[in-house]
Amino acid sequence: MDFTIRAATLEDCKDISRMILELAEYEKVSDQIKITQRDLEQDGFSKNPFFHGIIAEVPEHLKSRDGHTKVGYSLYFYTYSSWKGRAVYMEDLYVMPEFRGKSIGKALMAKVSQLGLAAGCTQLNFTVLDWNKSSLDFYRKQGCWDVTSDLGYHCMRCEGDALEHLAQGDL
Amino acid sequence: MANFILRKAEPKDVSDILRLIKELAKFEEMEDQVILTEKDLLEDGFGDHPFYHCIVAEVPKQHQSADGHVIVGFAMYYFTYDPWIGKLLYLEDFYVMKEYRGFGIGSEILKKLSETAVRTRCSSMHFIVAEWNKPSIDFYKRRGASDLSLEEGWRLFKIDKQNLLKMTSEE
Repeated sequence: MDFTIRAATLEDCKDISRMILELAEYEKVSDQIKITQRDLEQDGFSKNPFFHGIIAEVPEHLKSRDGHTKVGYSLYFYTYSSWKGRAVYMEDLYVMPEFRGKSIGKALMAKVSQLGLAAGCTQLNFTVLDWNKSSLDFYRKQGCWDVTSDLGYHCMRCEGDALEHLAQGDL
Repeated sequence: MANFILRKAEPKDVSDILRLIKELAKFEEMEDQVILTEKDLLEDGFGDHPFYHCIVAEVPKQHQSADGHVIVGFAMYYFTYDPWIGKLLYLEDFYVMKEYRGFGIGSEILKKLSETAVRTRCSSMHFIVAEWNKPSIDFYKRRGASDLSLEEGWRLFKIDKQNLLKMTSEE
């Protein structure tokens, strides 16, 4: 299939927002989205962006049933490992269902890897839900390994009231 | 002894930061995994676009450690992004030297980090903990942290440089 992979621009935020919602629906958590298209524009395309985006686009004659030519995306940002230094974290990777099986996902991930390596990163990290078998299989095929299973590291979160209390020094 | 200050790390602190990173890695039985150098820490933390931020805990000279150190604790963090809820603060490393525990240094560091998170409008603070590290898990749970790996099934994946290169060279 004919597609291009390129860096996301401000104009892409509408489609990124659409696809974020599609991905959240797939992960069965779409009611948790608080981020708007405007937030994405501000947070991703100002002087100090909090994330970077890649878009997969098809030509007009191959557009989706709903008329979209932007059919996949990845959001990533740079992190730091106190053991190994610069790392890249892939926050989202998504291809619309009707465009799957054409190596678009692989191409998006390859682009993130390329950019990460160019920036001096030695590892790519991301999280996957334990029930998402097709994604788990896809990633294992690319040579990834499960840090949670193999080393017992659990992802933790402190938010909302708990975060506020922590900031005030309450126990 | 309750006399300590918390401050932003400066370039002159990289030697102590690396020392503490290695001490923490030793505790996690991963000391041989630390390949980061002082030069990396300097370049990556104190240039135009830092990959990480660091807070250090310093005691006055008369309370220096058995080995003669005055930097006795640190936290390394950076900002990440969740496309559903926006900015997050990610805590990469957090450590206080054994002989300085029980004086509230850890709690103060965590308080400072949470203040930073709230001030920069982060909705959450994320970090990972090894599942066998019961004292740390209890410390965090007491402060309202939740285990995303257990509660939501998130597994942390990693792909290293070798496989990243492989991905970028495949057509």
